Amino acid sequence: MRVPTMSDVIPQGMSHRLAARDGEVVDREAMLRFSFGGRLYTAFRGDTIAAALTAAGVSTFSRSFKYHRPRGLLCCSGHCPNCLVQIGDEPNVRACQRRVEEGMTVSPQNAWPSLERDALSLSGLLARFMPVGFYYKTFMRPRRLWPLFEAFLRRAAGLGRVDERSPHGAFDKQYLHADVAVVGGGPAGLQAARRAAAAGARVLLCDENQEVGGHLRFGGDPTPLAGARALLEEAGDIQVYTDTAVTGWYRDHWLAAVRGNRLFKIRAGAVVFATGAYERPLVFDNNDLPGVMLAGGVARLLQLYGVVPGKRAVVATANDDGWQVAEALVAAGVELAAVVDERGVESGTAATGLDHVPQYHGHVVAAAVGSGRVRSVEIVPLAGDRVDPGQRQTLPCDLLVTSGGWTAAADLAYMAGGKSRHDEATGETRLDDLPDGIFLAGRVNGRYSADVEAEDGRLAGAAAAAHAGYGEGPSSTAASQVETRAQQQPRRTSDCPPASGKSAKRFVCYCEDVTEVDVTTAIAEGFDSVELLKRYSTISMGPCQGKMCAANALGLCARTQGQTVAETGRTTSRPPVTPLTLGALAGQVMEPVQVTPLHQWHLDRGAAMMVAGLWLRPEHYGDPTAEVLAVRQRVGLIDVSTLGKIKLTGPGVPALLDRLYVNGWRKLGIGRVRYGVMCNDEGVILDDGVCARVREEEWYMSTTSSGAGSVHQWMEWWIQSGWGEGVQLSDVTDQHAAFNLTGPRARDVLQKLTERDLANDKLPYMRTRTATVAGAPSRLLRIGFTGELSFEIHTPASYGLQVWEALMEAGGEFGLVPFGVEAQRVLRLEKAHIIVGQDTDAMSDPLSADMDWAVKLDKADFLGQRELLRIHEKGRRQRLVGFTREGGDVVPEEGLQIVERREERFEAVGWVTSCRFSPVLQKVIGLCWLPDEVAGRQGETIRIHRNGRLVEAQIHHGPFYDPDGSRLKT
Amino acid sequence: MRLSPLHDRTRALGARFAEAVGWRIPDAYEGAEEEATRARGGIALADDSAKGRLLLQSDGMAQLLAQLLDPAELPPGAGQRLAGAAGDGGSWVYRLRPDILFFSTPPGAEADLATRLQALTGAGLTAVTDVTDGRAEIRVVGPSSPVLLSKVCGLDFSDEAFSDGEAAQTSVAKTNMLVLRRDLGSLPAYSLIGRRSLGDYVWQVLAEAGTEWEARPIGRAGLDLLSRD
Repeated sequence: MRVPTMSDVIPQGMSHRLAARDGEVVDREAMLRFSFGGRLYTAFRGDTIAAALTAAGVSTFSRSFKYHRPRGLLCCSGHCPNCLVQIGDEPNVRACQRRVEEGMTVSPQNAWPSLERDALSLSGLLARFMPVGFYYKTFMRPRRLWPLFEAFLRRAAGLGRVDERSPHGAFDKQYLHADVAVVGGGPAGLQAARRAAAAGARVLLCDENQEVGGHLRFGGDPTPLAGARALLEEAGDIQVYTDTAVTGWYRDHWLAAVRGNRLFKIRAGAVVFATGAYERPLVFDNNDLPGVMLAGGVARLLQLYGVVPGKRAVVATANDDGWQVAEALVAAGVELAAVVDERGVESGTAATGLDHVPQYHGHVVAAAVGSGRVRSVEIVPLAGDRVDPGQRQTLPCDLLVTSGGWTAAADLAYMAGGKSRHDEATGETRLDDLPDGIFLAGRVNGRYSADVEAEDGRLAGAAAAAHAGYGEGPSSTAASQVETRAQQQPRRTSDCPPASGKSAKRFVCYCEDVTEVDVTTAIAEGFDSVELLKRYSTISMGPCQGKMCAANALGLCARTQGQTVAETGRTTSRPPVTPLTLGALAGQVMEPVQVTPLHQWHLDRGAAMMVAGLWLRPEHYGDPTAEVLAVRQRVGLIDVSTLGKIKLTGPGVPALLDRLYVNGWRKLGIGRVRYGVMCNDEGVILDDGVCARVREEEWYMSTTSSGAGSVHQWMEWWIQSGWGEGVQLSDVTDQHAAFNLTGPRARDVLQKLTERDLANDKLPYMRTRTATVAGAPSRLLRIGFTGELSFEIHTPASYGLQVWEALMEAGGEFGLVPFGVEAQRVLRLEKAHIIVGQDTDAMSDPLSADMDWAVKLDKADFLGQRELLRIHEKGRRQRLVGFTREGGDVVPEEGLQIVERREERFEAVGWVTSCRFSPVLQKVIGLCWLPDEVAGRQGETIRIHRNGRLVEAQIHHGPFYDPDGSRLKT
Repeated sequence: MRLSPLHDRTRALGARFAEAVGWRIPDAYEGAEEEATRARGGIALADDSAKGRLLLQSDGMAQLLAQLLDPAELPPGAGQRLAGAAGDGGSWVYRLRPDILFFSTPPGAEADLATRLQALTGAGLTAVTDVTDGRAEIRVVGPSSPVLLSKVCGLDFSDEAFSDGEAAQTSVAKTNMLVLRRDLGSLPAYSLIGRRSLGDYVWQVLAEAGTEWEARPIGRAGLDLLSRD
């Protein structure tokens, strides 16, 4: 005789806890405390919240979505919505899946002020005013009351509360790879995994439960479970992921799975779905009362946690599974009031130990009775396929266990393309026409006895491995033998005989509080296709996603319309199968940010950084106006490392450039630089920049900062399309740090750091030379965007900081200041230089952008030539021109419309693309698009519509500052 | 002195720097022994940006390989140590595409190799580009490194799919990256080579993803210890 230990002592507050039993998953030596709804409870380590609360006698876990009816545990397998709770700031946690942690604060959801006394339960009294689809028909009028309705509905609807002050959780994603992925670790899944691994395949097994074993874990017999686990250990190198729910199947056997805060992206060669089956609830009056539970849920509580959810039970079943649970309840010491079996007198005869229990064959449950929880059930006999309401019997109990049959958990297989076939003989749905690489095993495949499930798993594992290139696969004989054995299984699914009378409390969908009456009403209103019925009634659109309700809804839909289930069809399965958080979908924050070699220097100098594409750039260092004036009067230095840089090599480069740019390139000499405009084949400006010929067959191109990637891709595309003869291309954007030293004293500064003679005749405008600058090998380009004497210095990025700091130091005596993008914008605008993407858009061509000087229409074929020739011949419709406005009181923002009075009203004729106040010119300057005939009127007044008023400005042609470019070329 | 794109990051992490062939290289953080021990038990991140890197594009790859390797076979995705090099410090060549080779050299050795490559003849149009400065190179070392990388990259990092000496161009943390597997001693080790400007971002992503293994930086001295394991 076993000596009692601490494990056998049932602590106070655990009135529904049994003595320790084999197979339980709790550690009775470790006690945990947690709170639920403000009350303290105890749990054993390993308990789920649901198990611990049930052990303490709690029966109500939540309130329903619409009528706020009390709801208790139903499935205990993470499928139904009844035990959704809030843990701290985490909403919608399934209490039957989450293990208790010390100090955990658990709150009920959808109840106010408390779970026991929920004010919104009054909505149940208003049920007749809230029929199916009421939200499509009500709250429409009076419209002025909508804000009131909205505020109320927002408070009343939804599940749980998201605390916006919560810190971001640590979510991430992980890619997994396998030859064979097995979804489901029950008897079939385990065998499939083992067989595939034995064939040599790399196998990955996912199971949504804490441990593998499936229904063997709570079947009451530890022998097959131990055997199954031993198989897994023998197999060795199978990757096993428990607590991992596969939420979707995507093309090419890509599976999404979630474990805690991690989303797995699984790529497999073949997939075995051994996902089991969902237990079907029975539909009767008050079938949602706390105390009504599915047999599988009761078995889990009993076998895994040693908890009984009631003291006096009635088991209502349509199969032998219910009888097994009845046996287990009796063995656990629960008073069994009755077993009610809708089948005939010969059913359930294999059960043992139930001789003393009243048995009602050919009966079904008509109603659960009670307020807040089950106090009794009413049963009625069946007469043929209908109930006989005249012979009701009442059976007192506090627990009603139902076993109404099974629905294949085939959501993932449907997503993969499997087609459903309803078998009227068994009342179950099977899958046909599975796509390549998808295999089913076990209950999802209609195999219900453990040995047939296991054999089915072996066959599926072998077939999946063979598909992935390992082994021969099973013989067709073996497959047909398993099919034959499966055909011999007894029917397990209830016929769901129609209940008598009309009741508003016969729930089909627990998530959305949709009743049998709702379904029949919706069908009567014309929503008779299952897809329409789903959308109108919201049935199967809640947290269970149809696991509890879809089969019953389809059966009801079919019966109401006098169809078979096969004729009725089914709704489409879509991911996610299991609810998952947005955090899991988002994963770890990965937002690429590009920084230049000077990034820390800029930060250390207090630069205000701005985002430009993926780049972070200094917008200014405190006073952009002072930066502009410093450049115009002394000298400034800007970090332009973000410019795109491309190296082109080979004899074919000039020909390629001639085709890609609107300019001509063949005659550009070595050491010379040219500005270029690149268009697409519709003549639209793609990018601009300069290109230098640094050797006979080597060219160095720069692009805009944002255009680097796209220009490189664009060139690669044309090179690979046949224009790349004799050309090699490399993106060297990050290879070089680049700075623009600009201003009247720029030469003085740079000359201090290099031995290269920078005199105007040695390094003239639009020329390039190599030089050593501050000890670093560099390339100098005599170009500029600011209109002042400028040197662009390109140096290997690893020397970037060294050269920059040397320039800053050398420039000290000349008043050198660093300047940012804002000052550069003003400086370039004073020169009327365009910024591609700001002053141009997806319709802008270089002729209209007033850059006809750059377009060589007479050269051989180039991208955009045809369209540009057309524009040249027919004339441009619009033109990009400048405008000025005296004073700086109003600076029209970019994007504002330019209007013109036409026949008594103003019409938009153009828009502003750039505008700034010029501290040098002491007036507002800008660029705008205007109709060509208007744009040509130099000095004429235009009107800009700004904040309901008209702002006047004058059209200006050409640069605003130093129009002949003498400062640039000095 | 040449600075790595991760210089500010490694300095903030407490790196002690050594100067070699013109580069400031993180030599150690906590201490070489501690760093090596941590890497053996989990994961360590190293800034390997000072290594030399060359890209070679050629129309005549077969003729070129014949002058570089014996046997002259290098399928795309494969890597091979260049003749004459020894130990982990040697130069490697990887074939990224049929027409592109990538060379990885010890710090400062890229210029000589570039000269040698440019002298190869008979390979049609060939362009050698020094991309040493344009790339950041992060080395992930340790037994858990394949799992860490599987959190930021869709590549299959199992030994069967991606073995020592192989290369793949792929996406890592939403950036284009060249991944080289070059084990260090008995430890799996991967070099992630991507745009210099994205180096600090990628380092931060890896460090955050490696929190569960307490991923820490390792300096050159620690790597040397590991290479002798």
